[in-house]
Amino acid sequence: MSVEASAPQKRNRSLNSDDVRRMCTAIAGGLVLAIMTGPDGAISDPTYGVKTSLLSGHVVGYLIFGVIIGCLLTYRAKVKDGTWRGDRTTPRRTSMERAMSLSSVSRYASLTVTAFAVAIITLIFADFSGPVLRNKMSMHAIAHQFLYTRTYGYLILAFALWFTVVNQAMRLTTFRLRSIPRPLFVLGAIITILLFSLTSDPFLPARFSWRALNPGVANSLFHHWTTYLWLTFGLAVSLSWMFKRDSARGTRPLRRSHALVVTPSMRFLTYVAAGFVVFEAPKFMSTYWQISLFQQIGVFCLLAIGLNIVVGFAGLLDLGYVAFYALGAYVTAYFSGALPLQPPFHLNPFLIIPFAIIIAMLSGVLLGLPTLRLRGDYLAIVTLGFGEIVYVLANDWTQVTAGSAGTGAITNFSIHFLGINYAWNPVNYLSYYYLLLGVLIPAIFLFDFLNHSKVGRTWAAIREDEVAAQSLGINALKYKVMAFAMGASTAGVAGVFTAVKVGVLFPNTFVLQLSISILVLVIFGGMGSIVGVLFGAIVLQWLPSYLNFHSYLGFEETNLYLYIGALLIVMMIFRPQGLVPSRRRRREILDSQEGLGSADALGAITYEQPS
Amino acid sequence: MTSNDPIFEVQDVTLRFGGVTSLNNVSIQHERGEILSVIGPNGAGKTSLFNCLTGVYVPQEGSITFHPSVTKAINIVGRPPHRVAHAGVARTFQTSRMFNALTTFENVKIGVEARQKTGPIGAMLKLPRTRHEEKYSDQRSHELLEFVNLTHRTNTLADSLPYGDRRRLEIARALGTDPKVLLLDEPAAGTNPSEKLALAELINRINTELDISILLIEHDMKLVMSLAERIIVLNFGGVIAEGTPQQIQNNPLVIEAYLGASDEAKQ
Repeated sequence: MSVEASAPQKRNRSLNSDDVRRMCTAIAGGLVLAIMTGPDGAISDPTYGVKTSLLSGHVVGYLIFGVIIGCLLTYRAKVKDGTWRGDRTTPRRTSMERAMSLSSVSRYASLTVTAFAVAIITLIFADFSGPVLRNKMSMHAIAHQFLYTRTYGYLILAFALWFTVVNQAMRLTTFRLRSIPRPLFVLGAIITILLFSLTSDPFLPARFSWRALNPGVANSLFHHWTTYLWLTFGLAVSLSWMFKRDSARGTRPLRRSHALVVTPSMRFLTYVAAGFVVFEAPKFMSTYWQISLFQQIGVFCLLAIGLNIVVGFAGLLDLGYVAFYALGAYVTAYFSGALPLQPPFHLNPFLIIPFAIIIAMLSGVLLGLPTLRLRGDYLAIVTLGFGEIVYVLANDWTQVTAGSAGTGAITNFSIHFLGINYAWNPVNYLSYYYLLLGVLIPAIFLFDFLNHSKVGRTWAAIREDEVAAQSLGINALKYKVMAFAMGASTAGVAGVFTAVKVGVLFPNTFVLQLSISILVLVIFGGMGSIVGVLFGAIVLQWLPSYLNFHSYLGFEETNLYLYIGALLIVMMIFRPQGLVPSRRRRREILDSQEGLGSADALGAITYEQPS
Repeated sequence: MTSNDPIFEVQDVTLRFGGVTSLNNVSIQHERGEILSVIGPNGAGKTSLFNCLTGVYVPQEGSITFHPSVTKAINIVGRPPHRVAHAGVARTFQTSRMFNALTTFENVKIGVEARQKTGPIGAMLKLPRTRHEEKYSDQRSHELLEFVNLTHRTNTLADSLPYGDRRRLEIARALGTDPKVLLLDEPAAGTNPSEKLALAELINRINTELDISILLIEHDMKLVMSLAERIIVLNFGGVIAEGTPQQIQNNPLVIEAYLGASDEAKQ
């Protein structure tokens, strides 16, 4: 739509029915969220939960959320379709710009109003993430929030984020905040991050006491490491800002593009925000969520990114993935001496991890070498068989695996090294979560590097056209086995974590359904995209926990696969590439729908007929 | 044809699919540095020959020897395709086989990288050698795209390339593997006259500038006659004629194979 001069000025400022619709949807969405996350209803009267959710002050927060999101959507849509676009040469100002630029007084007034809005939202957020209480939104409760240092951390982070967003929004229109002098900016950033790192630490008082350095106090050192982490982040952000090249002056085009410009510092800020959520948010969760964060979500994230190598990167359909998971778990049990078959030496679970990796990898190679010559459906059937073999062995070979009676107790994680003595406490659920993060985050980055390297490209080539890949000298079998082995070893590590946390293994944990659930995570999130797969794992694993938590919703665990099946059918019809697909994979699926290329969703390969 | 420096020696190769004989006692000598063309009607066994030479099919009888250098001899029969490619045999396909979801640049890069040694560990940790090889393959891919005149398509997805460009891309990808001999399977199929001219020039440049021997299957007689130094004619799986373009044009057996038996030939 052309916005040059011809378009009448009046129309541009008015809101049309589309905007109203958008607004209503956002507000309704807020209300639904309020109902969903409100207080528990009793089983005898499930509507009680809905009623209290809607009547309590709780709902106000969500309404504000809804309004704000509606405003944002409208703003984005207007900027995108060009109705609200600035142009330096012909300044046509929107109402918002006008409000902000009429005079410095009104500008500061509007800034202040927005700042207050941000503060309120942040407060609500801090409140929600705090201790679980009924009627959290009472004024008293809000005021109480100021007693927690956490609130200030949130405030500072929110303001930092808010300024970035405002700056971005200003880039889209002609209006820009007067640029802040660089030294001041850097100084501000350092102070911001410093304050944030200090205040976001829930153990702030203890941090400043000498007790923290006293080795007699158990766990004290480990409580503060997040503070150090945030300090590092803060320094990194400040330094990156300080050394950033000043590309702005002179090179700036007159008219801004409509798309949001992702600058390196914005990306970094996104990482920081994601890091904040991943590291800090769990501390404020209730025990129920702390448990399921490790057991339901974390371990499955690891499994999903492992399976993503096999299914997403290499394009091999593996229906027996859980076998490697089981192997990792049983290797842990073996070296803990929890099986009837005694090991030659007992090991700490940390030392079992390499063994689990090697054994899972070897079994992946052994299974892969003969079977990866098969393709598509045949491979799926063989892997399915392998999964069943491992399950049956675990169940029936009682002399070795103790069978369905379950194994003995498995050793817990502990560190005894260079004078550090720390044992993981089964009741401190988060300590396991952070340990898992220590594996998961490096794995995410390493697998991402892998996907963007020669190996990843070679997998893409094999997926798309194995014959052509071989004609270039690519040993397809080698690369497929490689993918299989890497996926298997990731599952092996996940197996160690599960075994140690759960403490006792039963074979019926490792059934075929679990393989399929993991595959669903990958397909739902988007094959081949690590972000997508993580997203799929988090959403799909969180949802059942959530539905279980709110008993009045009437969700039955036994019906889970019914819903997952329905979800998959809907997905395959409307979005076969998954929610957050990788670029390559999306193209491949589109191609195969048009009959181009030989790779279908799971890389079945058609062969050239001799002519 | 009496030379002692062949790059491919095909001797008495017979290939059968069940009861169908696709190649029957075919013997071919491909000299080093030569542009040799294989022609013949549809179903004559040209592509089967290519597939035998690249290890995709294993002939039941006969031997195929590849000489990457004067002193070395490699037996192709029974070697898997990727090892044949490693030895220095590159090919393109009758129906172009691109990696469609990848960009032009990535397509060529995969070709270059197929020779490199980086493994998964190196790739994950970005070890020095990986970085070094990555730099080399980037540079080499750019060179190759420039060589085949595809620089302006560097970041285009392969499936949105026009037909002529696909052919060039396939050639660039094959050249990325640093071959000694390039097997082209109907490179001009589906291209327009001006693209054909450019293609002929490109093939000549590959032969002279890069010093790569070329084995060419082609139906376009004008292209074949202008490019090839020697022509081999296949029909029903057997070699029916061999010689310079002039000799082939006047060979009654060839004319018969292409046009059917004429009265003169019957007499």
